[in-house]
Amino acid sequence: MGERVPESSEYVIEMNHITKIFPGIIANDDITLQLRRGEIHALLGENGAGKSTLMSVLFGLYQPEEGEIRKNGQVVKITSPNDATALHIGMVHQHFKLIDVYTVLDNIILGAEDTKGIFLTRKAARKKIQDLSEKYGLKVDLDAKIEDITVGMQQRVEILKMLYRENEILIFDEPTAVLTPQEIDDLMKIMKGLAAEGKSILFISHKLNEIMEVSDRITVLRKGKYIGTVNTADTNKQELSNMMVGRPVQLVVQKEEARPGETVLEVSHFCVPSKLHNRNAVNDVSFKVHEGEIVCIAGIDGNGQTDFIYGLTGLEKPNSGSVTLCGKDITQNSVKRKSENMSHIPEDRHKHGLILDFTLEQNMVLQRFLEPEFQKWQFIRFGEVRKYAENLIEQFDVRSGQGPVTQVRSMSGGNQQKAIIARELDREKKLIIAVQPTRGLDVGAIEYIHSQLVSQRDKGKAVLLVSLELEEVMSLSDRILVFYEGEIVGELNPKETTVQELGLYMTGAKRQDRKGGEPA
Amino acid sequence: MTEKKSLIKGNGGQILFASIISILIGLFAGIVVLVVVGMTNNSISGSSIWDGVRLVLIGVFNTGRDAAGSLTFGFNPTFFGNMLFRAMPLILTGLSVAVAYKTGLFNIGAPGQYLAGICATLFIALSIPTSSVPAWIVWIAAFFGGMIAGALWGCIPGLLKSLLNINEVIACIMTNWLAACLVTWAFDSSKLKNVIDGTKTGYIYKTSTIINDVIVDGTQTVVGANIPEGATVLATRGGVATPKLGLDSIFSGSQVNGGILIAILLAVIFYIIMEKTTLGYQLKACGSNRFAAQYAGIPDKRNIVLSMALAGALAGAAGSLYGLSGNTEFFWTTYQSLPSVGFTGIAVALLAVNNPIGVIFSALFMSLLTINGQQLTSLTAYNEYITDVIIAVIVYLSAFSLIIRTWLGKRRKKRVEKSGPAKGVQA
Repeated sequence: MGERVPESSEYVIEMNHITKIFPGIIANDDITLQLRRGEIHALLGENGAGKSTLMSVLFGLYQPEEGEIRKNGQVVKITSPNDATALHIGMVHQHFKLIDVYTVLDNIILGAEDTKGIFLTRKAARKKIQDLSEKYGLKVDLDAKIEDITVGMQQRVEILKMLYRENEILIFDEPTAVLTPQEIDDLMKIMKGLAAEGKSILFISHKLNEIMEVSDRITVLRKGKYIGTVNTADTNKQELSNMMVGRPVQLVVQKEEARPGETVLEVSHFCVPSKLHNRNAVNDVSFKVHEGEIVCIAGIDGNGQTDFIYGLTGLEKPNSGSVTLCGKDITQNSVKRKSENMSHIPEDRHKHGLILDFTLEQNMVLQRFLEPEFQKWQFIRFGEVRKYAENLIEQFDVRSGQGPVTQVRSMSGGNQQKAIIARELDREKKLIIAVQPTRGLDVGAIEYIHSQLVSQRDKGKAVLLVSLELEEVMSLSDRILVFYEGEIVGELNPKETTVQELGLYMTGAKRQDRKGGEPA
Repeated sequence: MTEKKSLIKGNGGQILFASIISILIGLFAGIVVLVVVGMTNNSISGSSIWDGVRLVLIGVFNTGRDAAGSLTFGFNPTFFGNMLFRAMPLILTGLSVAVAYKTGLFNIGAPGQYLAGICATLFIALSIPTSSVPAWIVWIAAFFGGMIAGALWGCIPGLLKSLLNINEVIACIMTNWLAACLVTWAFDSSKLKNVIDGTKTGYIYKTSTIINDVIVDGTQTVVGANIPEGATVLATRGGVATPKLGLDSIFSGSQVNGGILIAILLAVIFYIIMEKTTLGYQLKACGSNRFAAQYAGIPDKRNIVLSMALAGALAGAAGSLYGLSGNTEFFWTTYQSLPSVGFTGIAVALLAVNNPIGVIFSALFMSLLTINGQQLTSLTAYNEYITDVIIAVIVYLSAFSLIIRTWLGKRRKKRVEKSGPAKGVQA
């Protein structure tokens, strides 16, 4: 239907002067967003800048206090997602809305089924989906159940859902957050293909690389305000991040040459069993980390990094091998004993890092509440805890609604992570393990965390970093260990290698011979 | 400190308000039931309905009927005392559920732990000869014996949960019935069945009963306080009861004893443990997020067992104090039903939003309803079961306090939202 409408306007969607107010906060303050037909338009902003709110207004989930929405120049009223669907606006949510136990086919046609009497007819739908899938290169297995397919394929199912409904305005809400680098490349190609076929795409992200690669124009929001719209060709990452954060941002990590000292951590022939299969998740891993260096474990997600850290920190029992920390064998020690000499910034801040229903100050003493500083005769010294938490909050600039008594659940992801980092770094341990410390954070927070890790290194701490972000690996580390299928397949110097070479190691295409797993 | 602050400023008031609203709705619904039943029943007159309504609300103040046959109200020490007496075990079972809930566990095993407690208490109190051991020492042994038995019984689901990851609800239900059968069996083969007051069968001695093991005419037998001529006393048992501590003179004619003070004291102690100590911090940490506790080196498995043991000890103490009252008789063929005081503990904890101090008040409220219900039965033509219906309605609606809280939260949000745009325009 959409394509029959005469081109009365340059823009397929216009959101003019949208203002949306929530109690205590103006989420969108006079924001204008104009989407051209067939373009990929990126919506860029930090966490809490108002991107999701604006898209929810477009999708009919919120009603704006002021402003209008036009489609093809005509003013339209979108009061529910049904209205949005009728206007051929579709959205891929960050967390997919799929039914796990249904097949791909059934998920796609759900809500738009063809029926014959009371019976479902899938034949025509199957043909239509197959055609769409071929046309746009969206490879899916129509008869597989959602629970059995990869996250990347689930996302393609979501895209097919939109196409099946003949949507022409496609909203992607942070689509790359859950994908592997390979899947991100595929998605970028798919998006370009869709745009080439005349679909108009709104792409929400805070990852500058992807935006630079795929978008035609970029609208930047900051703290609910409209900052500007630029052509991708006329801008660069530095300018964008300055617009996004509102001040010059250090994109490249500033650091001096590393001066490695004594060995802090020595791992040798370390094996951790897998929960999924009989083989070891981590197999015969050996390496050393010294004072004053940042060693990074790189690799595609699921190659044993998580299991390795669990084994190292005591959350899981290793099979064999040994771990020596500060000259002591700690292989079989409990988490508590191990943490005497190590800080651990965990991969999953909600699962391991924080107790979300506790207050900020209670979380700050999670490992330390038994120390004499914080208890007397087993009674918690609330005054001391408060003082300590206030000190950390100030020192690490952790922002929250009510300071030390804020419930952690109500804090933003970036500030939750800052709270963990404050707690872990303040414990002043010789070894700092940081697992994906910047995951899901915006540039401002990333810059901060990177500078903290570098300053810890310069204080003579040994830093073991696990990261999936190639850029972070390359810019932050002094040495790179590449994990592939639970083994170290290469040890690289970031100054002497390239992202491409690193990628080859990560995908298993290249491999160094590390004699018997001995550290180089 | 944080708790206190939030109780005054933040959610605390809202939580209390929600509980009170749900109680009021429950009472209103109960009255509606009462009125409807009264109108449809020919034997209940209009004035009886009015009597019934008043009794449901303030039956505890009833002092009987005057010469003209209308109800009179005033301070009734007997009813007040009985209210306190009935609240005693409820405070403890409620506390048991609340403490477990704060640590992330749903202790539906309170009835079983209660039985374990009362069983151990009765065995200790009625077996140790008070002719050689002072009664107060027997009392202490029986009380703590009951607590320990409850704790051990609570440990079973705790261990199953922490070691084998078996859901504690299922394990608790099974241990409840196990306890019911075991207790019946233990008493059935014991010598504690009441043979002295021969009128009732199936009851265990009161702990206050004086039991004399005697030899009469060459055969050993058991007699009460009156020793027959020519009998040789081997030992004297029983005569153990919780001291009244003067409460009987304040609340004359009631069953109340010092146990209510012990129950309140335990509630305060557990409030302090949960909110002020490192133990409470650890238990709550494990309950809120077991993985984070593991990450921080807090022994989560030990803490799960420990919190179930504490919960069991509290429910055991409920059984103990009830048994040690001295004026209660325990019906020992319990294998067909579980003591309702254990399950009511869940409602008590729910109404108190798992706050140990709140438990004291919600338990008092529950026992107040029971007392009011008794007045309704004895003073009006209402069938005795109607009171159970009304209590059930109120308990049921008390569970709605969560919904009411959400509703209150939304209302507050809306109010702010309404005033929001105006501010925004001004700005």
